[in-house]
Amino acid sequence: MDWHLLGLTFITVFISELGDKSQIAAIALSGNTKSHTGVFFGTAAALLLASFLGVLLGEGTAHLLPARVIKIVAAIGFAVLAARLLFFNEASITNVEEEA
Amino acid sequence: MNVDVSVESLSPHVEADLSPVEAVIDSNQEAASSVLVQEAIVESNSDTTAASHQRWQFWQVFSSTFLTIFLAELGDKTQVSTLLLSAEFHNPWVIFAGSALALIATSLLGVLVGRWLASHISPALLDKAAGVIMALISVWLLLEVIQG
Repeated sequence: MDWHLLGLTFITVFISELGDKSQIAAIALSGNTKSHTGVFFGTAAALLLASFLGVLLGEGTAHLLPARVIKIVAAIGFAVLAARLLFFNEASITNVEEEA
Repeated sequence: MNVDVSVESLSPHVEADLSPVEAVIDSNQEAASSVLVQEAIVESNSDTTAASHQRWQFWQVFSSTFLTIFLAELGDKTQVSTLLLSAEFHNPWVIFAGSALALIATSLLGVLVGRWLASHISPALLDKAAGVIMALISVWLLLEVIQG
């Protein structure tokens, strides 16, 4: 095991990911969910898969989907999540009251 | 368990909720309400309902989180840096292990911060803040598309 390389990768990724949008999204998602473990495992699994694809790509064995199209889809997804939380939030408010 | 919602009044809402696009971007609150209705239909035993409610909620949250984060992260700088590192050092499994540990650590931190916030801020304010953050992430992604 190449511990030096392991440490280098860990520090590089950890620093570049701190405060990045996926971590901020994890904060926002886990703030208003009832399943924190669901958010944690969902976030971790997604990041692991994305990084696994990155490693495969670096080795030249895979081709990535069109990143721009995917980002636009993700942007629309986040916009809809935002719109629901901000403008169509009756269901969640009643749910919260029922739970309490 | 609170299954006192009337099934008849919510059924159309549930059907509308189950289109493929909606399912992907379903927010957790919406999921919770449709879960209640589905369970009211499927089960009447309250113990089993509570257990399967939790399980169902976990997978709903897991899948919607997974999809949004995965899509947002593809082609992001973290992925590019693991790509460059593995191209340079030809030791993909060590790179993947290091990157995996870092990503698990950052998502754990994110969830812990979110949970701490949830216990200190009112749900309504938290929903507003989360909504604004989601909107900003959406703009962030669009800017990346325009610049990239």
